[in-house]
Amino acid sequence: MLSRTANGLFWMSRYVERASNIARLLDAGRRMDNIPNSDEGRASEWESILIASGSHEIYDGDIKNADMESVARHLIFNEDNPSSILCCMKSARENARAMRIAVTREVWDVLNSNWAEMRGKSGRDITGGRLAEFLDWVKNCGFLFQGAVEASMLRDEGRDFITLGMAVERSDATARLIDVKYHVLLPDAQDVGGGLDHMQWVQLLRATNSLRAFRWIYRETVTPQSVVHFLILNKKSPRSIIAAMCDIVEHLESIGGGTPDQRAVCAQAREMLTTLDALSVEQIIGNGLHEWLTRQIADTNVLAGAIAHAYGFNGPELIETQSQSQ
Amino acid sequence: MFNEMYRGDDIRPEYRLIQDWLNANGPDALNEKRAEAEALFRRVGITFAVYGEGGDPERLIPFDMVPRIFSATEWDRIEAGSIQRAKALNAFLTDIYTERAIVKAGIVPADLIDGNDAYEPVMEGFAPPGGIFSHICGVDLVQVGEGESYVLEDNCRTPSGISYVLENREVMSRMFPELFRSGIVRPVDHYGDMLAEAMASVAPPMCEGEPTLALLTPGHFNSAYYEHTFLADLMGVELVEGPDLFVEDNRVFMRTTQGAQRIDVLYRRLDDAFLDPRCFRPDSMLGVPGIMEAYKNGGVTIVNAPGAGVADDKAIYIYVPEMVKFYLGEEPILPNVPTWRCGKPDEYKYVMENLADLVVKEVHGSGGYGMLIGPKATKAEIEEYAKRIEADPAGFIAQPTLALSTAPTLGADGLVARHVDLRPFVISGRETKLIPGGLTRVALKEGSLVVNSSQGGGVKDTWVLNK
Repeated sequence: MLSRTANGLFWMSRYVERASNIARLLDAGRRMDNIPNSDEGRASEWESILIASGSHEIYDGDIKNADMESVARHLIFNEDNPSSILCCMKSARENARAMRIAVTREVWDVLNSNWAEMRGKSGRDITGGRLAEFLDWVKNCGFLFQGAVEASMLRDEGRDFITLGMAVERSDATARLIDVKYHVLLPDAQDVGGGLDHMQWVQLLRATNSLRAFRWIYRETVTPQSVVHFLILNKKSPRSIIAAMCDIVEHLESIGGGTPDQRAVCAQAREMLTTLDALSVEQIIGNGLHEWLTRQIADTNVLAGAIAHAYGFNGPELIETQSQSQ
Repeated sequence: MFNEMYRGDDIRPEYRLIQDWLNANGPDALNEKRAEAEALFRRVGITFAVYGEGGDPERLIPFDMVPRIFSATEWDRIEAGSIQRAKALNAFLTDIYTERAIVKAGIVPADLIDGNDAYEPVMEGFAPPGGIFSHICGVDLVQVGEGESYVLEDNCRTPSGISYVLENREVMSRMFPELFRSGIVRPVDHYGDMLAEAMASVAPPMCEGEPTLALLTPGHFNSAYYEHTFLADLMGVELVEGPDLFVEDNRVFMRTTQGAQRIDVLYRRLDDAFLDPRCFRPDSMLGVPGIMEAYKNGGVTIVNAPGAGVADDKAIYIYVPEMVKFYLGEEPILPNVPTWRCGKPDEYKYVMENLADLVVKEVHGSGGYGMLIGPKATKAEIEEYAKRIEADPAGFIAQPTLALSTAPTLGADGLVARHVDLRPFVISGRETKLIPGGLTRVALKEGSLVVNSSQGGGVKDTWVLNK
């Protein structure tokens, strides 16, 4: 397959996944915002959502006073924010259009229709209690895409690059989502482990659509340890970092390594998976959850760069530079 | 004026199935279908612009639900005539870059060739594989009576519109399955196989084994990009852009995730000027440096060949009937529209005296612009145009105003008669052939003769019936 096509498929998939994950972030913020906060403690969930989205630096306003509406506008409609849902859907569709021959009509249809519908949305669709419904719609757009890929694409190299893009993005996004919890300030240090802390962990699970799955597996109350295990180390959890890492390794192996660079990137991914596999929750939390997440995000980024290099995404003549603002 | 639906007061047998459908379902049903069809086109993202017309690259062309129908007898003539014409044009193109026998015979003046903007000196002395310059050739036809058609122009360069032919059929067969079930309409969906086969048959001398085909596009900002993806998909070949390709040792390669892969036959949908910055425009970012050298050394075949555009010129058009006689020794099946050359003194005089009855065109013009339609022009417009002809007589040709045929078209309250033309696509490789059908363009404005999409034109599905 053309290197340019592989690059386009990889990014198409990343943008679709990113749009859904921005919706999940917003959903987490919305849910935390809803938790009754009896204390006078400053609500900081929207600031933390902005930080986790990676687009706080281009947020047009005072980040300390960010509220639901302004953050939602920034992360949904801001055309200057390459990671806004609007821009992600546009970029996904543009990549698909440029690689039109490499995706099935069904996949194109989903991206084109989603984009057309998104273009018709406005502030009215996310205010007055309609935000939750809107976010569900965005997540459904992602599910439709995955369904179309799963059911209509040939299971060949193109499909491998699509899954790779999805997995790289998901690993990054899940790490960021957990990190929200680090940035959200509790009114008092003593509240750690208290009722509010507990509620926030629960909302995080809800935002990843996995509270029920969590209960099914762990059959216990939500604790930071168990959530961290579920979202990072549990291979059964579809959005966990280790599950994403498994996908990355599987599809890199499926594409196969014809060159030394390609074999090296495969080995690099395998090693990341082995390290993860050997880790315990205690080790992650003991050395600082935030620090671990920060390093994981950086490592994933390096891996993505190595994949791009190994498969000639950026060719001798770079056609298009994709936004990597996250 | 010939209304293709009728013979005298009777409905022609070819159109009876349409009338029966309308009688059974009523015009409202057709209007509903139209909305459905438009939503379909929009959803799959079929966008299109006829070559050289510009405009919004993602616009939809209006689609008329009433098919244009040809009987088997009518089609036999169009098919034979189009094939004959494509053969003569290819022989002509090969000749002008090599022997120039037609110039030596005193039939076509040399200055019409050397002075032609589309003439590429780099092709001199080179014979493309199979002697084919225009592998895909669009012959634009108009009808004035039953079985009476004229060639309006030839498109040897890069005719577009075939994706609409196939997509129109796809939509029609979804909307009106009952009309196709009888098998009376001849299918067109083998176009991809036909084209791939023709491309493979002109593989370059250096190619060993099964040739690898690819389609070169300027990219997704091009107005015909949808068609490029459609055709690549149809043939199951890679859709490549200039930066995907490089030349090494006279072979062309594409950069893939598995390393470099050779291409033997390249269907380029890119103008000559952008094809090779070493040979044509040096600032082209869309082309492939060195591809012309590889081509001339037999490492790759370029489809259509550079320099084929010479034959599209309206000054050359005049000579096509003579080419048919000269190269094929046959009588032309499809006549030209009678044409006066303003560059010739006696013909100039006739044109200037009869401007009010003639259609005058720029020799190098296209897309229906810069034309004078005498019977529809005001006195002032005619005087204005006369001044332009006076300033550069050789730049203009004139033709009689033809009573173009009309085809039934869906209006707000039922069927109306609108003018149509037809572009069949002739494929030349080892054999010369075409699919039964083509692009029917329709002037949607009442009385209008201009079918170009930028000026209110639409398209129709074209049916050729079985005997």
